[in-house]
Amino acid sequence: MFKNPLLAPLAGALLGTAALGGAAPAAAADPITIGYVYPSPAGDVGWARELDNGRQAVEEALGDRVTSVVVENVPEGPDAARVMNQLATQGADLIMLGSFGYMNDGIKLARRYPDIDFIHASGYQLADNFANFQTRNYESAYAAGQAAGFVTESDDIGMVAAYAIPEIVGLINAFTLGARSVNPDATSRVVWLNSWFNPSKAQESARSLISQGSDVIFSIYQDTPSVVTVAEEEGVYVVNTSSDMKAYAPEHLLASMQIDWSDYFVAKVQSVIDDTFEGDAFYGGMADGAVSVESLSEDLSDEQRATVEATIAAIADASVHPFTGPIVDQSGETRVAEGETLDDAAIMSMDWLVDGVQTRLPN
Amino acid sequence: MTESLAFLLAGTLAAATPLLFAAMGEVVVEKSGVLNLGIEGMMATGAVTGFVIVAQGGAPGTALAAGALAGALLSCVFGALVLVFLAHQVAAGLAVGILGLGASVQIGKAFEGRTIAPIPRIDLGPLSELPVIGRALFGQTPMVYAALVSVLLVWWFLNRSRAGLVVRAVGESPSAADAIGYPVAWIRFAAICFGGAMAGLGGASLTLAYTPLWADGLIAGRGWIVVALVVFGAWRPGRILLGAWLFGAVSLLELTLQGIGLAIPSQLLSALPYLVTIAVLAIISRDPRRLRLDQPVSLGRTHVPRA
Repeated sequence: MFKNPLLAPLAGALLGTAALGGAAPAAAADPITIGYVYPSPAGDVGWARELDNGRQAVEEALGDRVTSVVVENVPEGPDAARVMNQLATQGADLIMLGSFGYMNDGIKLARRYPDIDFIHASGYQLADNFANFQTRNYESAYAAGQAAGFVTESDDIGMVAAYAIPEIVGLINAFTLGARSVNPDATSRVVWLNSWFNPSKAQESARSLISQGSDVIFSIYQDTPSVVTVAEEEGVYVVNTSSDMKAYAPEHLLASMQIDWSDYFVAKVQSVIDDTFEGDAFYGGMADGAVSVESLSEDLSDEQRATVEATIAAIADASVHPFTGPIVDQSGETRVAEGETLDDAAIMSMDWLVDGVQTRLPN
Repeated sequence: MTESLAFLLAGTLAAATPLLFAAMGEVVVEKSGVLNLGIEGMMATGAVTGFVIVAQGGAPGTALAAGALAGALLSCVFGALVLVFLAHQVAAGLAVGILGLGASVQIGKAFEGRTIAPIPRIDLGPLSELPVIGRALFGQTPMVYAALVSVLLVWWFLNRSRAGLVVRAVGESPSAADAIGYPVAWIRFAAICFGGAMAGLGGASLTLAYTPLWADGLIAGRGWIVVALVVFGAWRPGRILLGAWLFGAVSLLELTLQGIGLAIPSQLLSALPYLVTIAVLAIISRDPRRLRLDQPVSLGRTHVPRA
């Protein structure tokens, strides 16, 4: 449906400050306009919340040199194309596209408006004015997976995931590998929601997994604490992504895989102001501060905790890589040989699941 | 395995509850001859109203009543459009539905993503602990039982009460009812308000008992499922109950099957609840003579009152 809560009142402000069509490099006095497009509502927690936190960091750092226009809850497809077009024609200098599914419309728009810069989340297309950014969430997934491997008693980890895009497949794999690195009998199962936003279905999926024997739940990119509250209610451990959800599961949160875009957004916006924008791929991990593990549960023993924290430190200084061989996939094929690690390109295009995941990829 | 079965049974009854409330409201509205397609919006306004009240410290009972009231108020807009201004029912319903969805987002803006404590499930001690059926039959929230009671009440109302007969008469032939002297517009208006209130109640039960959080899009198309249930269930409360259970069961089965690891494409599984429910209901209700008896003849047609 039509959800542009902030667009209409800010359009008036835009007309006063924006150049016609594409923007020329802003002079020191002209604030640049940044359009933010989120795939879901920016609530208290979640993917869109962290994108919005990035926006706030930009406004704090750059003050009145930037004007922001935020459009939330834009579904992928024709609605997204329309919103992007609207932002472009209303004079945005930089457009932040917050979801993988905005990629095709975004790149087409970037070709039409070479003067507008774009940063796109989780995609793989690039152009001179089209950069993308991703998290190495698999790093925190591996560490959190170790914690899960320690606490699981049924050796059954349930995962609630939206779509089988490479980023999510990477998370599933890293989590499973982490769990099995400390507990070789651990296995995982996945329920695919086929929707980026359906809290009811996410809750039902969590309950279904729990009823089938999962005693640790991994909630992948759920923007509401839906799965986390169900886990707390049913008394099973839960790991979630994007934001710290300790407040929603004070007893059973095992870890939160925190994302932080502040530094990256500020740097990119500054590059637009300085006219040094590059269409590069940012792959932010623990070392860049883009990804971290928060609220590690106090139920872990001192030894277990020390192991997980050592892993985190080792990943941050690159002495350990989560995708280090030997890694065997579901069909028994060795995907990564002993001693080798997967390179970034292979991680970003991952379309296979590791041995230990019981669910197949949807065709 | 028994755990999965217990989950399926309990979950089906719980998942069907919001659908049943709204469907019972809609069946009365459609039996009176009005096609209300704005259920999604009415459920959304009911849901957000109920949620906001509990989030600010109100009692669940107040919240449910407020949710019903919110749905009823929105349906008054629809009623005015259709009965006073004689607008096209389909268009008016869709417009009011979209209005309701937008209004719910606006009202709930400050509460986006929040969670509340849900209405607790009843606990009958050993009865609730029975294997497989314990939680399904004796461990549900009160809303589940209320929904089942509402099905009985609506069935009794439509088929065994004088008032229900009048409503059905208005739906079959409003001009004949008008000629006899029944106030067709008022009867339809009352039915519309009832439908709106039930839809609001269904939405409120969703946010207060089933998924105790608010987010834009929480209703997730349930309003449309309700319309389909009423139509494919041949406007018979019993069939609609079956359809709601079937839909809920297949939806949850889809998740269970995924968890087991069967190699059925998840997209197909996602479509399965809709396909199965429509297919089963359509097959059951395929007798054309019986269908002619059940379908309100004037459904969707604007009735111009005698001058």
